[in-house]
Amino acid sequence: MRAPDGPPVTAGDVLLSIDNVSLSFGGVKAVSGVSFDIRKGEIRAIIGPNGAGKTSMLNIINGFYHPQEGVITYKGEARAKMRPHDAADGGIARTFQNVALFRGMTALDNIMAGRTLKMRRNMFWQMLRVGPALAEEVEHRHRVEEIIDFLKIQEIRRTPVSRLPYGLQKRVELGRALAMEPELLLLDEPMAGMNIEEKEDMSRFILDVNDHYGTTIALIEHDMGVVMDLSDRVVVLDHGIKIADGTPNEVKSNQAVIDAYLGVAH
Amino acid sequence: MFYRETGQFKSSYAADMAIFPIRQDRIALWVVLAAAFVAVPLLDFFQVWPFGGEYILRAILIPFLILSLAAIGLNILTGYCGQLSLGSGAFMAIGAYSTYKFCTGVHIPLELFTISIPPLPVLPSILLGALMSAFVGILFGIPSLRIKGLYLAVATLAAQFFFDWVFIRVKWFTNYTSSGSVAAPDLVFFGFTVTTPIHRYLLCLVFVSIFALLAKNLVRGNIGRQWMATRDMDIAAELMGIRPLYAKLSAFALSSFVMGVAGALWAFVYLGAWEPLAFNIDRSFQILFMVIIGGLGSILGSFLGAAFILVLPILLDQVPHALGVPVSVETVSLLVFVVTGALICWLLIVEPRGFARLWSTGKEKLRLWPYPY
Repeated sequence: MRAPDGPPVTAGDVLLSIDNVSLSFGGVKAVSGVSFDIRKGEIRAIIGPNGAGKTSMLNIINGFYHPQEGVITYKGEARAKMRPHDAADGGIARTFQNVALFRGMTALDNIMAGRTLKMRRNMFWQMLRVGPALAEEVEHRHRVEEIIDFLKIQEIRRTPVSRLPYGLQKRVELGRALAMEPELLLLDEPMAGMNIEEKEDMSRFILDVNDHYGTTIALIEHDMGVVMDLSDRVVVLDHGIKIADGTPNEVKSNQAVIDAYLGVAH
Repeated sequence: MFYRETGQFKSSYAADMAIFPIRQDRIALWVVLAAAFVAVPLLDFFQVWPFGGEYILRAILIPFLILSLAAIGLNILTGYCGQLSLGSGAFMAIGAYSTYKFCTGVHIPLELFTISIPPLPVLPSILLGALMSAFVGILFGIPSLRIKGLYLAVATLAAQFFFDWVFIRVKWFTNYTSSGSVAAPDLVFFGFTVTTPIHRYLLCLVFVSIFALLAKNLVRGNIGRQWMATRDMDIAAELMGIRPLYAKLSAFALSSFVMGVAGALWAFVYLGAWEPLAFNIDRSFQILFMVIIGGLGSILGSFLGAAFILVLPILLDQVPHALGVPVSVETVSLLVFVVTGALICWLLIVEPRGFARLWSTGKEKLRLWPYPY
């Protein structure tokens, strides 16, 4: 694990910047005037108490929600209104708070489905499944098998995911996101509901993904130990407002953060 | 036991991703194909029991094949892509009537110009007719982008009633015959006229084999995964770059195409002469039941479901005769309904995923036999 007091990590170029973004549902302000950025190659944590607007933030980043105000700049381009599959095209992948696997499919097919954007053969070729279509399928199977090896889920590749225990489902979901070869990986509570061993495994995978593939990661997590150990920088939201932003140590000693988590005497 | 994959090692992903990676399955498939393509014609040629008359071919095998094809079509849409449809009858009817029109020539005088297509041979007519069906399928699939489940089923039900009405009321489709029923022209394929039941059977068999293979290839390829992803978790699918528009409408198009071919075969090869009633709402339900009982999301299930729905009433009808039980014809036909209904209920309680799931559970058990797990 990274030492909490280690040197400030690779302050690379900004991959994604969120500028003064606000999102409301009717009268409910989910996110108001939040600005932060995600740099290339870092692990960026988004934390906050329940209802702080963390998941809304992820949904904004991958185009599922459209903020009423603010500008999102991804890879140097200010983004207009975009659909989720455009975000996927642009290299943003994510996992979900409640596992959102394709329950009727095997682990292998789930991860193969993550390659869908990389597959070019049209329906006619797929129907015949010869020559280039078969070659393409085999090539992507190779890539998927690498991910399966990486996540150590070889023995469950043929199992329908609905039969897998929760921890493995989370792992398959990570594999499906990795299959997209994302530049930015959004993880929504990757460790929710896991025991300590599973959390350690998952932490290791997240660090490995970051090191090995150089993927930029933005994660939401409630386990503060994990957040402080894994992340390079942390942004703290509360009631849709950003209350702190900085390295884990800065955030930990920030009075507003302590108040938000522990409450203040009125 | 004989069903073991021990010792069958795959050295390439291509071999691992074959339709039947297990050798025993491949052997079984070849046996079934050999029986269908060789044994049945031979038995028929020598008039061996049970092919003494034409009953088996005419009343069981030909409708079984055609309805299996229709079930494959619906399975693509409902089983794989998760879009419930009650319009199968309509898409079959469109296939049948369009094929009929292409066969007998299309002449549409418009104000500016006249669309005129001379009568086409049967095979191109069937494919063009199916293409029409696919086109209409896409049109009626557009609501699926906004509505799901039962609401979509109602929208497809609209297609069913609309086309029932069209083919009864718009005389142009039936070439203005006074009775409203139409007769198929001669079935000429590459200069060969299909007349006898065995030839009709082989014709259907060729169509079904080809479409089953193509459908199987599709559902295990990229587009198949897109369909299943859309079915299982549409939001996650979209966030992974799957376009719901493309996934759903391609399923509607392909499904309607296959059902259009099935409809054309049903009309031309099985019925010979038909009325719009042949493709009414009962047909849609029949095919939906086949898909549900056979197994949603399984090509094999389409065949099993078709066999069950089609053969069971015939068997039930024959059993009292064979046993010599003196029951009247009306009682038998009522009993068939009762028993079929009860069996369907029982089956869905025991195995809601249909015969295909029973089949795969059985195979799994066999692989481990004699150990429980």
